[in-house]
Amino acid sequence: MGKDERFDIVIVGAGPNGMTTAAYLAKCGLSVCVLEERTECGGACETQEPIPGVRIYPHAMLMYASAAPGFEQLELHKYGFRMEWEPTNPMEAANAGLACTDGWRAISDADKLGWAKIGGMLGQPPFTRELLRATFWCPPHPSDVEVTDENTPYMQVYKKHQPDIWTPELREMTMFDLMDEHLETEPFKTGMAFAAWASGAAGHWEGVAIPAALCVQLLTLPNTGKNSIPRGGLHGYFHAIHRAAVHRGAVIRTSCPVDEILIEDGRAVGVRLRETAAAGGKTIRANKAVIAACDVHQAFLKMVGPKHLDPALIRTIKDISLKNQTLYVSVFHTKKQLTYKERFRELGEARYVGENRQPGLGIYPCDSREIYYENVRDVDGRKGQPTVPPERALWFQTPPQSFDPTDCQASYPRGYISNAFEMAVTSPDYHTEGEDALDRHKDEMDRFMRESYSQMVDGLDDDNLIHHWSATGRDIEFRNTGLIGGTWCGSRHDEDQLWTNRPLPELARYRTPIEGLYHAHQTSGHPGGLCLMAIPYNLMHILIEDGIAEPGKWWYASPYYIPQEGKISARRP
Amino acid sequence: MSNFSYESKFKYDPSDLFGHMQEEFPQESEFDVVIIGAGPNGLIAAAYLAKAGLSVAVCERRFEVGGGLATEENLYPCYASNPHVLYHMMVDYMPAIRDFDLDGPALTWIKPNAQTGMVFEDGSSILMSRMVQDTKDSISKYSFKDAITFGSVIRKWRKIVDEIVAPATYVPPMAPIEITMAMERTELGREMLELGEYSPFEIITNTFEHEKVRTMMLYASCMWGLDPHETGLGFMVPLMLDRTVNKCYCYGGSHKFGSALAREVVKHGGLILEAAGVDKIIMQNGRAVGVQLAHEGRVLRAKAVMSTLDPHTTFLDLVGREHLPDSILGDVEGWAWDKWSFNTLHIAADEPPKYACDDPWIDEAFATVIGIESVDQLISHWDNVAAGRLDLTSFGGHSTCESLLDPTLSDRPGKYVSMFQIHAPYGIEGGWLDRRKEVQEAMLSRWQKAAPNLTHDKIVSIGMEDPEEIEIRFPQMRRGAIKHGDYGPLQMGCFRPNQDCSGTDTPIEGLYVCGASTYPGGLVLGGPGYLGANKVAEDMAIAKWWRPTSEMERYIRIYLQE
Repeated sequence: MGKDERFDIVIVGAGPNGMTTAAYLAKCGLSVCVLEERTECGGACETQEPIPGVRIYPHAMLMYASAAPGFEQLELHKYGFRMEWEPTNPMEAANAGLACTDGWRAISDADKLGWAKIGGMLGQPPFTRELLRATFWCPPHPSDVEVTDENTPYMQVYKKHQPDIWTPELREMTMFDLMDEHLETEPFKTGMAFAAWASGAAGHWEGVAIPAALCVQLLTLPNTGKNSIPRGGLHGYFHAIHRAAVHRGAVIRTSCPVDEILIEDGRAVGVRLRETAAAGGKTIRANKAVIAACDVHQAFLKMVGPKHLDPALIRTIKDISLKNQTLYVSVFHTKKQLTYKERFRELGEARYVGENRQPGLGIYPCDSREIYYENVRDVDGRKGQPTVPPERALWFQTPPQSFDPTDCQASYPRGYISNAFEMAVTSPDYHTEGEDALDRHKDEMDRFMRESYSQMVDGLDDDNLIHHWSATGRDIEFRNTGLIGGTWCGSRHDEDQLWTNRPLPELARYRTPIEGLYHAHQTSGHPGGLCLMAIPYNLMHILIEDGIAEPGKWWYASPYYIPQEGKISARRP
Repeated sequence: MSNFSYESKFKYDPSDLFGHMQEEFPQESEFDVVIIGAGPNGLIAAAYLAKAGLSVAVCERRFEVGGGLATEENLYPCYASNPHVLYHMMVDYMPAIRDFDLDGPALTWIKPNAQTGMVFEDGSSILMSRMVQDTKDSISKYSFKDAITFGSVIRKWRKIVDEIVAPATYVPPMAPIEITMAMERTELGREMLELGEYSPFEIITNTFEHEKVRTMMLYASCMWGLDPHETGLGFMVPLMLDRTVNKCYCYGGSHKFGSALAREVVKHGGLILEAAGVDKIIMQNGRAVGVQLAHEGRVLRAKAVMSTLDPHTTFLDLVGREHLPDSILGDVEGWAWDKWSFNTLHIAADEPPKYACDDPWIDEAFATVIGIESVDQLISHWDNVAAGRLDLTSFGGHSTCESLLDPTLSDRPGKYVSMFQIHAPYGIEGGWLDRRKEVQEAMLSRWQKAAPNLTHDKIVSIGMEDPEEIEIRFPQMRRGAIKHGDYGPLQMGCFRPNQDCSGTDTPIEGLYVCGASTYPGGLVLGGPGYLGANKVAEDMAIAKWWRPTSEMERYIRIYLQE
């Protein structure tokens, strides 16, 4: 096949992290090759149309990334990035309240004020973007720097802009503690804690109160309370990143699974593709760096392998906790439109969203944190099938398809397509009945999903239901190997695995024990999942420190970043 | 930098709680060229023009580029279906593949020897292979005379394809009288002209004697939409038969071809917008000056607007009747859709289909025709379909195992994705919604009869896409018309879509048409997009960085130069 191909940088995985990294590095003038196992790039930013006219986002559905520096630095608007803003008035939506077993419960003024304050909206001027960037878009401090209240980025921001949030206990709190201090009603707190749990960091975990609360804020505040998504879904957002990379010369190869990261004399020098890869030359060499933008297990345990790592590190990598639940996702295709049950009708037509008028629900049931505890106990504690009765199963529904008029659903001529209906369940790798348990229980789970959803809507009876489409966490893992354990935001975002501890203290700055090998994946780096373009931005600081990337004037570092001694500072002079 | 012009109005203002944090693609922008539709033709046109230095935008209504070049998990989860698997017949000739070097690291084309099989109910079979002698061996089971005839005829027909039909695909169309004069120049040309006087049915029955051989050859000649009874397009029989044994497989799925073209567009500064349906071609003083996007109201202004859509959509819906010159209104209104569409059964299974027949190599064939026993039955099936009927006791079609050549389509090891596709009417008697179940069961049992290993316990997932669903999934294929319009003599050559527009320019200044409904036609030929790019480049007087392929140059020298 001739000589091996050579690039400055070889990136394994064309998900949002791999592709954003490619776009950044190509913009620095480096030659970059991205290798993707699947036939299509995008990773979790994926759109499928399993039935003609029925478009589904199997993984990433919601836009968390609005505050990312990547929008400016990569100029995504020039590559076609557009948003689809939810048409409803956000204030009206906020008045709708939280769904509880007996109907809607209003969000009180104290809730709204407290929540706005945590999110930086009450500062003069508001400091939401600065706060979000400090929390997610800043590389962890070097290991020789002690993390303190004074140097934790979000602590610095609160101290400066909203000192009454700042307390010496803030870094120790749970999100419930934080909410008990600043918010009022139980349903709102329960709903937000659940949203946080489903976004990565749970409401009852100590030490992550702010990252947990801000995960939820990422979703709403930058979009001014609107549940908005990029046009074309998250895959549309991904396209803009993809094109920024391609336009700058990055070479993208799909259907090219990587079997091995080649290591010579302790240094990563390239990769070897699987024999079935859609490329002639199975070895691709990297002059400067190999970046593993695939999950931490595949990267270290399979592609690097035990011969290059010490056994203690292998054990800790195996132990990285994926106990972060998976989502069981259902979409219902019905003859007639689903309708609210009597007790949810008070808000009237306004709650039927989008062109095909689907009930817009949010989170249910938010009565009290006891319900949250019961659900979390099933998933993370008992690690099995739900034991909560369907009327106490906590679920959420994301309406993006409903208000995207370009979506086929808006004009689907053969019935009605519901919003994606989702429930957190035990991840396959931790299920006590084995990793295929969810598949084996699929019929039972489907019934459970229908019963749970029927707490709030009518229309899921056999006569009206044409098709019940569902994806188990097991499916997710199979089709998208980067989503290990089916966990959609990677490994747990708890204190043991966040910030300078993510995924392990010795790997926290995206470097690895192998020279020239870096990692950039939601399972392996701060701040984890949610397709934020954060890991690549944070990694850029490290690649600048190591002399690999030399960005132009467009680059700016995080103001809260602390350079590693003896390295090149990523801060512009 | 993407080289279009616009005025940025974005300013991040933290005190504006209803302002946004990120800049979006502008409401108003200006390009040299805006292309409607990111199917193979739109992308090819865009890639050529972007590389020539023009600012180019492509607007695509779906969430993904490629048009029919889609490789998607229709059988969710983990199995990618690849409906255009059999459509890569012109890889040997398509200028875009050479000009953009899309045969190498970017794309891998596989051309298997076992190409198209036909299995009969009695367990006999014919296998058409890339290697002529292998095909002759298979035909010789029935008629040694037919085998010898096939050998000599295909040799001549391949020459016709190689020297005339294939290169002509990428050269602007000529009027029938001009074609006659040009073809008179050589003996090969005269032979091609003579074929035009016969219908495919006549050509096949005059050439071959054995019923089974005739059935195979007629299926292969007409499976993409030639009318077996119609005269005037006989020259396409050599093309169809020759290409039946020269199809390529796009490794990683057909979508890779679309993606590779899209990357060429972007690499050269072109812009692609998905989820961007165009609802209006903006007209000013009788000239097309841009497009407006549906739902979002964005306006992209351009010196040239190229539409890859069918004439109804382009002229009646987007330009609007009031802007149409009388000269083309009648032709546009009279546009005839494809006589038939496809109904496709997709399955994911533990095994690929294994056909009960006398030739084990059939199982390796790229495509296998089943359910068709004779020429009469085949013709009555097609006649039924053209009349809006399906006789579920007597029908057939072609099947293919998409993952046989490509393990990357199936994420779960040891599993296979296959499909069985039959010609079917868009508007079926009784309506598709009510007849789906019955048709699906009939198709599955027909398939199982031919391939008895496809038992229910081996089938992991099953899904059927009816012709109405083709239109739902791919709205540009109106009425399920995979070629955007019938392949009849009045809609081919310089009449596609009509005499005024077949050169890709139209009577409306600034508007070009370059999709499957324009000469030379559909089926991933890559012709309309290439010809459209040439025309726009000439009209804008920009230097072409590309040259015709050597086959085209030879054809032009022999047949077109004075």
